[in-house]
Amino acid sequence: MEVQKEGFLQKYDLYGCFQCGKCTGGCPVSLKSKLNIRKLMIEALLRDNLGNVVQREELWDCTTCKTCTLRCPRGLEPMDLLIGMRTLLVEEGHIPKTAIEALESTYKYGNPWGAAKNKRSEWANELGLKVLPQGDQASNLYFVCCTAAYDTRVQNVARSLVQCLRQIGYDFAILGNDETCCGSEIRRMGEEGLFEMLMDQNIESFNKYDFRSIVTTSPHCYNTIKNDYAQDGLDVRHYTQVLAEAVEEKNPFSGEVRKVITYHDPCFLGKQNGIFDEPRYILQSIAGVTFIDFDRSREKSLCCEGGGGRMWVEATDQGPRLAEIRVQDAVEMGAEILATACPFCLLTLEDAVKTTGNEERLRVMDISEILVEAL
Amino acid sequence: MEIIVCIKRVPETADADIVIDRTGRDIEKGGLVFDINEWDNYAVEEAILLKEKYGGSVTVISMGPEEVNETLRRALAMGADQAIRLTDPAFEGSDGYTIARVLSQAIKPLSYDLILTGVQTEDDGYGQVGPTLAEILGIRHAAVVNQIEGIESGRTRVHRELEGGLEEILDLELPAVLTIQTGINEPRYVSIMGIRKVAKKEIKVLGLRELAMKPEEAGEPGSLTVVEMVSFPPVGEGAQILEGTMDEISDKVVTILKEKGGVA
Amino acid sequence: MADILVLVEHRRGEIRDITFEMLMKGKTLSEKTGKPLTALLLGNDVGEMAEGLKDLANRVVLIEDPKLENFNSEIYQRVLGNVIEQEKPFLLFIGHTAFGMDLAPTLATQMKAPLATDCTDVMVDDDQIRAIRQTYGGKLNVEVRLKPAPCSMVTVRPASVSVEDYSLAGEITRVTSPLTEEIASKRFLEYVEAAAGEVDITQANILVSVGRGIKDPENIPMVQELAKSLGATLSCSRPVVDKKWLPKDRQVGTSGKTVKPTVYIAIGISGAFQHIAGMKGSGTIIAINRDPKAPIFNVAHYGIVGDLLKIVPALKGKISEAFA
Repeated sequence: MEVQKEGFLQKYDLYGCFQCGKCTGGCPVSLKSKLNIRKLMIEALLRDNLGNVVQREELWDCTTCKTCTLRCPRGLEPMDLLIGMRTLLVEEGHIPKTAIEALESTYKYGNPWGAAKNKRSEWANELGLKVLPQGDQASNLYFVCCTAAYDTRVQNVARSLVQCLRQIGYDFAILGNDETCCGSEIRRMGEEGLFEMLMDQNIESFNKYDFRSIVTTSPHCYNTIKNDYAQDGLDVRHYTQVLAEAVEEKNPFSGEVRKVITYHDPCFLGKQNGIFDEPRYILQSIAGVTFIDFDRSREKSLCCEGGGGRMWVEATDQGPRLAEIRVQDAVEMGAEILATACPFCLLTLEDAVKTTGNEERLRVMDISEILVEAL
Repeated sequence: MEIIVCIKRVPETADADIVIDRTGRDIEKGGLVFDINEWDNYAVEEAILLKEKYGGSVTVISMGPEEVNETLRRALAMGADQAIRLTDPAFEGSDGYTIARVLSQAIKPLSYDLILTGVQTEDDGYGQVGPTLAEILGIRHAAVVNQIEGIESGRTRVHRELEGGLEEILDLELPAVLTIQTGINEPRYVSIMGIRKVAKKEIKVLGLRELAMKPEEAGEPGSLTVVEMVSFPPVGEGAQILEGTMDEISDKVVTILKEKGGVA
Repeated sequence: MADILVLVEHRRGEIRDITFEMLMKGKTLSEKTGKPLTALLLGNDVGEMAEGLKDLANRVVLIEDPKLENFNSEIYQRVLGNVIEQEKPFLLFIGHTAFGMDLAPTLATQMKAPLATDCTDVMVDDDQIRAIRQTYGGKLNVEVRLKPAPCSMVTVRPASVSVEDYSLAGEITRVTSPLTEEIASKRFLEYVEAAAGEVDITQANILVSVGRGIKDPENIPMVQELAKSLGATLSCSRPVVDKKWLPKDRQVGTSGKTVKPTVYIAIGISGAFQHIAGMKGSGTIIAINRDPKAPIFNVAHYGIVGDLLKIVPALKGKISEAFA
């Protein structure tokens, strides 16, 4: 593989790295994976052949939680370097088969789950939602997310969220089958070209209609529309922000949930966008809830390993899944419900509940689902 | 090593609801997602692997309208060097023999050591174009190839996949046509950037006249078989569909398993 | 003579099932058209095989030659071209198998014979031959007309004809092999068996089989769990092996294993004929697929239409309770 090395080094400002190791020190997978982001920074700089540097399976272990970048004292962006390295592999074409399937599906059907495009809005069939391309009008656009649209477990989150939004009197519509993957994970798997294509398609859809802001189910859609699309005048909010605001004004969720609840911060919501308080505020406002926080919470929160394309690529490491550690911690501190606000976190944590045999002790729920119980 | 790969752009119908069109001889193609025929994808990958090993060049050829350029570009992005598209209204209705005939006219002036095709296509599933092409060109062939061991002094050793997990090994004189079975390799990913890089590459377009063919030699007039009509396969006795909630369906399955035995 | 000719397919001393299926179809057409049915047997030292076929055709044409020891399409084509010149058959049947796929297209092209491949049925009315073949992975039946020609050819899909007992008391005609010099352009070297795996799915009493519909290899453990709860063995269809999600020794179908378990549960398998041919002899077939038109439902006894990701866990729960 031939790569214009000099340009690559400048793009990620590798000459600025002084090898302090704060990046690797904070990396949630470095303890169990060969992945060492500090070493990658120096090897990219010193080795003649960048092609050889990137030919390593553990590149796919990274969850793009961004801890490395957030911790870098020089303001460098090691996570972007890693994604850049994946981009080289993607252009070469030699990437994990499961990643190929997810990318090809996204190109063909607009979602990484291999599901038909014309079935994207089936989850909402009996909900009577407004659909912008069908001529409906609304003040806000609800951007559903591929996983919420197709995954049978997460569909319940989308339906719950619809109930919550209706409860607070939020006027919204969806794009129906015209919604296409936001591209967050696609970009983080290194398929920059496909990401741009998806972004253009979505922006074109957004521009067709009149609405005030976009609300998303997923922190991944939220982050990518807000920070990757970065369109002037495009207001995007995660649903926890919208609901927290409404609850603060006048809490319409008056029911009781007598449970001990803890909350897992999704990296793309918390660390990457500083939304720590809103989800906690919502949970604490529900009558009957005893809220306890993880020891590792907020900025220090432990990644669940669901990001960066890891939903489609099996890690090379053999260690325990971080989601399992998270579940064990939740059980140990006596939580009955492990709440989160991200489709990927929900799926990885729920899997971990099963693999650790904690089905009887702990339920994993999206905040919107808990709110529905408080209706 | 000069390699030619014949590929086809086909609609994906595995998960789609298909509808018979007005002519009653084909299906409605609008709304379907098209992609390279799965077998052909393996054939292109195999050609690129051979090129990487032995040097030379890869030329991809496909028949069809302008949309086929997308499929050809995808093959160029994988590493093919040239692309040729054969198109003419007169090609409509060609059977397997006539498709091979048209391809052969395009291939005759080229120099080649190896021609690869998929074993069959996902749509028509003739499984005949590759060997027919070999016969018209007067060269050797092997169908259902699942391994190419190597190429040496104008010959190649290949494995043909037989039934029941058996394979046979053949030794073939080149040039030859090999029809490639799925699973022979792991086709690489084709990135959008990769496709963009080849966006300006010329795709040679040839019609009936350039191929020195007469209208009566192509399409239905040139074909030896003609599609009369299509229909949905009779459902036969068919399965008894279990209905109800997940729990009810599961209970029914348990009852069936208890009745039909087998469960230890 | 304008016979209906069936090319006998055999390998390593055994006549393959497709031969009997083609003879059965040939006999039906022979009765209808009054054209004699001839079995055409090429091989080395296959006299006994010819004896065994006598009852199934009006005539067995036997051509023996050491060069015909193993199948080689070029040598076969040389001999068959000769036979067709002499016999002038009305219709020649060849199996749509690895053998027929390597031979029929080139032979048809040489003889300028119309060829319909992979046919599930063949009809003859007033010497007009029509065939039914399937397209789009078995989702559509296509009726094809073969243009009139001195000789026509059809390749027959394996397992598409049910064979019954009959007796025609034919005789054997020996024809001298026309082969003279060696043909070196295409040489058969040897057979290789796919490496034996850890699991012998042909011995399983219950098979739980997964197909492309599983979408993601991460869903396989879920099906494995279901299999475990039933004491069943996990098998799969070809795409799952092509994707390297399960090893080749788990593959059911013509290019894998033919299985006849008491119960066969097909999960996310649409039912390409190559798969169906390998499992349709199973005692009870239960199919789960989200497409109600999937061909698998034609051979299944019981069907569940829906999302396998929902059905499999529900099923596993109930089965664990019931067979604990």
